[in-house]
Amino acid sequence: MEAMLKNLASTVEMLAVAAQSDAVKHWDKQTLSRAFHWARYCEHVFSRFHNNAAIRRIMEKQLQLTNQTLRDTIPGYTEVSFSDLPRCQHLLLVRLLNNPELPSSLMKMLFDTARPVKTMHGEYEDVTGLCSHIVQCKSVYKVLSPLADMSALGADAEVQGEMLMERLEALLNQGSETCRAEHFLGSVLQGCEGALQQFCVVIAAALLTSKNCAAQTAAHDFLLDWLQKNHSLLQHMCSLLSPTLLRDLAKEHQKFRDAFCNVLKKWASEMEYSLNDSEWVLTSTGPTVSFKKLTELFLALFEASPSLKGGVEKELNALKISDGDFDVTGLSVWGDLLSALNT
Amino acid sequence: MSEQQPLSQPLQTEEPLLNDQEMQFWLDKAVAWGQADSPDTQKDTCLHMSRLRDFLQQLLTQVNSMSSTTETMKRLPFLGQLLGRLCWNPYVTVCDTSRGLLLGCLWELYSERPSNAVEQKANQWIRKVLCQLSTEEEDTAAQALMKCTGVPAKEYHLKVLRKKVALLQENVGQSCTLFNSQRCSCDRIVAISEACIPIVACPEASSLISLLLQRPVACVTEVLSEDFLDALTSAYSRQGLALEEQALVSLWYHSFSSLEEAVLSLLQSVITTGLTPQKLEQQVAQSLLPKACAQHCSVFLVVNDIFRSALKQAEGNEFVKALVQTFTKCFLKELALLKPQTSISVKAFFPQSPSSLLVPLLTMPSEMPQGAWRNHLNWLSSSLQRLTEEEEEGDGDGRSTRGHHNVFEAWFLLVQCAHWVQVAVQLLVTSGTEDGDPFLWLLIFYHYPTNRWHHRASQLARAKEAWNHIRTLFSGAAHPLPSDRLQSLVTLVSPQPEQQSLAPSLTVSLLVNVAVFCQLSPSGSAEVLQAVVDQSGLLDEAACVLSSLELRLNEGSCLSRDTVHLRIKELQKTITQMHSE
Repeated sequence: MEAMLKNLASTVEMLAVAAQSDAVKHWDKQTLSRAFHWARYCEHVFSRFHNNAAIRRIMEKQLQLTNQTLRDTIPGYTEVSFSDLPRCQHLLLVRLLNNPELPSSLMKMLFDTARPVKTMHGEYEDVTGLCSHIVQCKSVYKVLSPLADMSALGADAEVQGEMLMERLEALLNQGSETCRAEHFLGSVLQGCEGALQQFCVVIAAALLTSKNCAAQTAAHDFLLDWLQKNHSLLQHMCSLLSPTLLRDLAKEHQKFRDAFCNVLKKWASEMEYSLNDSEWVLTSTGPTVSFKKLTELFLALFEASPSLKGGVEKELNALKISDGDFDVTGLSVWGDLLSALNT
Repeated sequence: MSEQQPLSQPLQTEEPLLNDQEMQFWLDKAVAWGQADSPDTQKDTCLHMSRLRDFLQQLLTQVNSMSSTTETMKRLPFLGQLLGRLCWNPYVTVCDTSRGLLLGCLWELYSERPSNAVEQKANQWIRKVLCQLSTEEEDTAAQALMKCTGVPAKEYHLKVLRKKVALLQENVGQSCTLFNSQRCSCDRIVAISEACIPIVACPEASSLISLLLQRPVACVTEVLSEDFLDALTSAYSRQGLALEEQALVSLWYHSFSSLEEAVLSLLQSVITTGLTPQKLEQQVAQSLLPKACAQHCSVFLVVNDIFRSALKQAEGNEFVKALVQTFTKCFLKELALLKPQTSISVKAFFPQSPSSLLVPLLTMPSEMPQGAWRNHLNWLSSSLQRLTEEEEEGDGDGRSTRGHHNVFEAWFLLVQCAHWVQVAVQLLVTSGTEDGDPFLWLLIFYHYPTNRWHHRASQLARAKEAWNHIRTLFSGAAHPLPSDRLQSLVTLVSPQPEQQSLAPSLTVSLLVNVAVFCQLSPSGSAEVLQAVVDQSGLLDEAACVLSSLELRLNEGSCLSRDTVHLRIKELQKTITQMHSE
């Protein structure tokens, strides 16, 4: 235990050196390999103990201490948290590449197109071509990505959805603390600031993963409940995602279908007729949705659930009647909606 | 690097410098490629890749010769812009070679000890580009998820790539569906195969490429373009791309040039080094060509055409003949292994061979009782003789080419089924007083298919002579060996100024078979063989014939006559001894 904590602390210190220190100037191939070796060690330690609450606490405490010391000695120090540990090698790489003191010979080695040499017993694993391989992998994807395929969301969105679900399932599996799962979703949302549509797509992808197991159903449920609580986010989803995607979501999840239906009805109720534009417009704060879009979304909902159609139309009709039951445009949003839906 | 001044003074050097036009051309290309991402741009990029590689190589050499980055920036002011743009072009960075050259050029601009602000800025820029290339994340959601779920970037990118490949594989796996009378869903697959051209050598794409190759040919649309097949063939032969068996077979089926390359390479490998029959069979089987031939009739036909040319060009080359025989043997084995649902008649695989001879020749000796061999061979011999007579009669009128063709095809089939020739020799040798003429004729025909200048008669006579000499030498009555007989035999085999010598392979065939099947003791037989081989210098040929005779006797259900085997062992021992001397 002692040894492990010591190693952890040393690695975090090493990361700080990699990020900002002049000392990197003297690093050679061996040093580099060794650095990556210890980063890998931390990743391994995380995967072994992250589910063990007691050990986790001890490690977090150690990290806190180390971070404190480093913060005091190094200006502009970026902390390394427990949840950063599984990406330790990546963090090391980013820090090194951003450090202008990294010898060009080591950079050349990282970008070499040659494959790494087989590791001898007792030596650290060779990191030759590490970056070259990453660049190649990204390039292969870029070459293939314009090609049309079977997915409605795209390979990247699907993978992101799967990642979200995997983490969510793991968090919910651990037992009682649903707040951790909520915290997780919140931090992802925060991380997607400025890219709300992308976030919505990820949520949609997550909801459309189909593993057919109990853990996934529970996670889906949790996610849907969270969405409902986050009402503005739900509204953004309904306005930003394509009608086809929303239709698929409504088909898969009853909870979503109902929530979706409610959002649409709420939007309709908040619409006012603008004489200038001769059409209904949504004036409330929140996403702007045109009357045309609203109609499209209602149609998508009906496509997803034909049984719902009858009931909703009845409701709309009742509301139209309560508005006076006139067949003139511009008087009742419900009437106009009904006629638009039935053409 | 936009703050560089354009070149204003005349150049001092005499060296042919990359002209501004070329640089401008590539810069324009890089800009154009960066702006659009349409299928046309992609095609254009792929078409220019090899030229770009050459250009980058030239650039690298050029920049290498300059004394400093400052000088380089003066002489090639747009270099930075060009390199910068190319770094973000995935078609350039996906290939090991072009990526290496590109980075090489970048590194040439790096100064270990920057002497001015320009060089310092260049250093900073290079570091920044490289850092961004490998660690920048354009997708905000991806970045947020990676941080919150603890998945490292490398793992994420691999996952996404694998997912994309899997999705495309689903596409390829779909059968052809018609959209309208002109277009079908195969268009999408054509696009996939074209997109795979720059990534044929990437291991991540290998499963997709395998699937593309093995997709059953469903409709008229040519899914695999020539460019795709050429790129694959090149990657396979030059870069040692690993292709799984069935993918390779499919490649040969689709691409004539790759099949040709494979056959020629097989020919090359067996002709230059004389291999033992066992090794030859192994090498042929390992080449996977027989398997491919069994699966696709068209492949077999092409392979045989190549063999025909090889035989015509290298007349008398025993290695080629041995290859053809072994290949056919392996092919028939593979054909038998395929499930019986292949109801293709054997005639489809041998369309040019005389149909009356086909089944009789293809039947293996082991598939009929030994007692029936004699009649069978007699029939074969007389059929072939008739064919040759027809050819000669036809020589007068205009149908001689047809006759030649028939005889050649019959001879080619005989070469493919040379096991019967070997049986003929064995029967000749063991037939005692019975008429061995038809067998001898068959042997002559095998070695001399063309009857140029009507030499067959004289060759037959000479063969009979040799045959007599050999018989006498091994009769046991002669001890010590009659030197005149020996001498005559050797003379027959050696090249003569006025006439064609008797083919050594023919003589050796007779020699070895007699040595094996004669009545002498093993040591006695070996002694005689040694004497003949010594004088005539036919050691290697003898070893070869002995090996294949042993192989045939072991394989067939021939009764293992102990004396025969003892004799074979003794002969092999002798030959090995002679080899080591």
